[in-house]
Amino acid sequence: MIMSEKCKQHVDSCRFCWMCHHICPIGNATGQERNTARARALGISLVNREAIDLSEIMDNIFECCTCGACVHDCVTGWDPVMFTKETRLQAALEGKLPEYINTLVANCLETGNAYGKTETCEALTEAIKVHADKKDTLLFLGVDAKFMVCKQALKAIKVLDKAGVDFTVLENEAPSGVQLDFLIGAANETKAQMEACAKALGEFKTVVVYDPNDAKAIKQLYKEYGIEVNADVVTYTSFVAGLLRDGRLEAKNTGKAVVFQDPYQLSRDLEETEEAREIVMSYAVLGEMLLNRAETVWAGNILMAQYMPEIIKKVASRRIFNATSIGADTIVTASVSEYASLKAVAANVEILSIEDLILGE
Amino acid sequence: MNYQMNEFLFAMILTELEDAVGKENCSTRAIDRVTHSVDYYWLSRMWADRGCRMPEADIVVCPENAQEVSKVLKIANYYKIPVTTWGAGGGTQGGAIPVAGGIVLDTKRMNKIYEVNTEGMYIECGTGAIYKHIEWAANEVGKATMHYPSSLTCSTVGGFLAHRGIGVVSTKYGKIDDMVLKMEVVLPNGDIIETCSAPKHAAGPDLNQIFIGSEGTLGVITKAQIRIFDQPEERRFRGFLFQDMHGAFQASRELLQKFKPSVMRLYDEAETASLIKKIVGVERKGAFMNIAYEGVKEMVEVEEKILLETFAKYGAEDLGSEYGEKWWKEKITFFYPGHMMDIPQMFGTMDTIAPYGKIEEIYWAMKEAIETNFPQAKFIAHFSHWYEWGAMIYDRFIVEGKDVPEDPVEALRLHQAIWTCGVRTALAHGAVVNDHHGVGIKLGRLMKEQYGPAMQVFEGLKKTLDPNGIMNPFKLGL
Repeated sequence: MIMSEKCKQHVDSCRFCWMCHHICPIGNATGQERNTARARALGISLVNREAIDLSEIMDNIFECCTCGACVHDCVTGWDPVMFTKETRLQAALEGKLPEYINTLVANCLETGNAYGKTETCEALTEAIKVHADKKDTLLFLGVDAKFMVCKQALKAIKVLDKAGVDFTVLENEAPSGVQLDFLIGAANETKAQMEACAKALGEFKTVVVYDPNDAKAIKQLYKEYGIEVNADVVTYTSFVAGLLRDGRLEAKNTGKAVVFQDPYQLSRDLEETEEAREIVMSYAVLGEMLLNRAETVWAGNILMAQYMPEIIKKVASRRIFNATSIGADTIVTASVSEYASLKAVAANVEILSIEDLILGE
Repeated sequence: MNYQMNEFLFAMILTELEDAVGKENCSTRAIDRVTHSVDYYWLSRMWADRGCRMPEADIVVCPENAQEVSKVLKIANYYKIPVTTWGAGGGTQGGAIPVAGGIVLDTKRMNKIYEVNTEGMYIECGTGAIYKHIEWAANEVGKATMHYPSSLTCSTVGGFLAHRGIGVVSTKYGKIDDMVLKMEVVLPNGDIIETCSAPKHAAGPDLNQIFIGSEGTLGVITKAQIRIFDQPEERRFRGFLFQDMHGAFQASRELLQKFKPSVMRLYDEAETASLIKKIVGVERKGAFMNIAYEGVKEMVEVEEKILLETFAKYGAEDLGSEYGEKWWKEKITFFYPGHMMDIPQMFGTMDTIAPYGKIEEIYWAMKEAIETNFPQAKFIAHFSHWYEWGAMIYDRFIVEGKDVPEDPVEALRLHQAIWTCGVRTALAHGAVVNDHHGVGIKLGRLMKEQYGPAMQVFEGLKKTLDPNGIMNPFKLGL
């Protein structure tokens, strides 16, 4: 397998290192030894030494959620996410992607989203029409919210409406490219999607990105790809926290006790941890799980649930256990994808989005 | 196995195991077999580095509880299939490598935390729980496990129990065998047993201690009650520099008659000049020693006074708290790639233990034996677990990559020769095969040399409990 020297160095360092064994949300949920950074590195290193075929490790390579918990935990700075993504790219180039991944990639290329969806729910379609006129501010919903959790997308719009924000929502929103980046890494197709999206975003003065996954892509990954966005890009949480500070949204603390699930894209990648807390504390009483902020534990997503639904349920259940073990009965999320994952398995615990809290729904 | 395995029979056995633990928890995939074939043992790493596949299990099974383990062992016993228990693979002795093929029984699905009991001060958990996870559970209620080895994040409760592990605050809080109240064990025949409800009793020999350290050769420990402690009100550090290690031994022996610090770590001059200089920043010549003392604040004040007075008597230079605090912060950093020895180097830790009357002699004898017989090897050591009666040596040999044979078999032979030389020297001077990493396949051949006729006690247990010899074959010298 062709692999950059940098990645090979990281692979060969991680293959015999167990130090982040405790931190992988997938590994902790499944109890499978292969769901560790060192197992993936060992597999790749053996592929590099022609002791095993790339196709034999690819399922495992796609079991990584790329949340970066292992990267964050490593005191030396080794980066399992980097070599995992490069391996995905190489597998794509060598035609060795698993079939279920090929399907998702094909969907991304044909429809802009891995789910192959072309239509949103009726209420969201109407709401988008209402905000079709070009304004200075764009609310970027992202494919997960738009196609898979449209009720939350609708609420995201309602919150900005409530604050009297004048904004646009695009009917034909370009995909951020974050799904392709996850599936096949830095391929030409990924870059092309990102460039098209950046161009569309550049038409606006301010872009408010609803989904932290898209926010990570646009604010961080685009720079790595050498793509510029000629707009002020802000996360939804930081924008809404600003609306509260400016008095455009009214704080109304109900005294409800909640814990906050930090999306790793915000807390680890974009180092944004307090804005969401400002919002939560305006409407509820905030408690903290032991692993919070940059130490957060990923709670699942919609994309991986397409090909490993049972594992994603286990991941979400384990995070709910973290909350309930400290006595919490309500979890607030700022990630539409984690919201969907947690909601799918929540039995004795309430899952709320930031928007739910603000709207009192 | 005394019969030829064939495709048909293999498929039949696989369906039985799938029935026992669920299809999704039973794997023959290459990635699972490969992943469970390489642990932290240098030889397995070297073998993989050379592009060779280590011996692999035929089937990896992941049971959820003792009942499922019982089913697996009954099947394995019937077909006489080897069973190697795997925790998280962080062991250094090759104890978890399925050298005879067969089944690898991965315990990590048995990771449930059943109870955090702040009255009885224990956590009851499945032995597949990563130790760091039970530390988190203790922290959530303001307590701590006080078991902090460098492998805290990468070893399971069962792994520590199987190999008699130890952490950095052991001098005050004890070794893993001091941390256990009660255990559930599945015997090789599938029977599920429980040890006594309290660890200190006169109801015969201590069943806990029969299975702790048995490395999966006598059964599978599936559940344990692990002690937890109040967080100390205060934890203080003090670094010292001794001109020679003799003074440090004398000072430490006297100190331990007065009180028990939590951390006691003495580095020889070679390790002070290398690892301690690099990570903690001590740039002075001599033997660095770090002491931590903790607990109720008033007691800590008194302990500090005793420490300073005692160590001053033996000429220790007080370096203040800064280096000690830095050491605490970086205590696990030592073991990350980039800081730790790694391939292409060859290395090994021959940790051993002995009473004070012998420990210095053992250190010098091992150093001379290694450096004389293997001039390409460097010998460094620290002394990291201390008792009123003696201490352990964490002595390591390092051979630089240029001196390590590229041929894997030749590299294996050199590795074996250095180990045999080092451990035999330790045994000849009154030490033991190992202090806290265990025996595994690495040191099994030396167990009889240590125990002599006493080995028949272990062999008798093995023969009675595991007459078919299916449990972790070729480990522990059994």
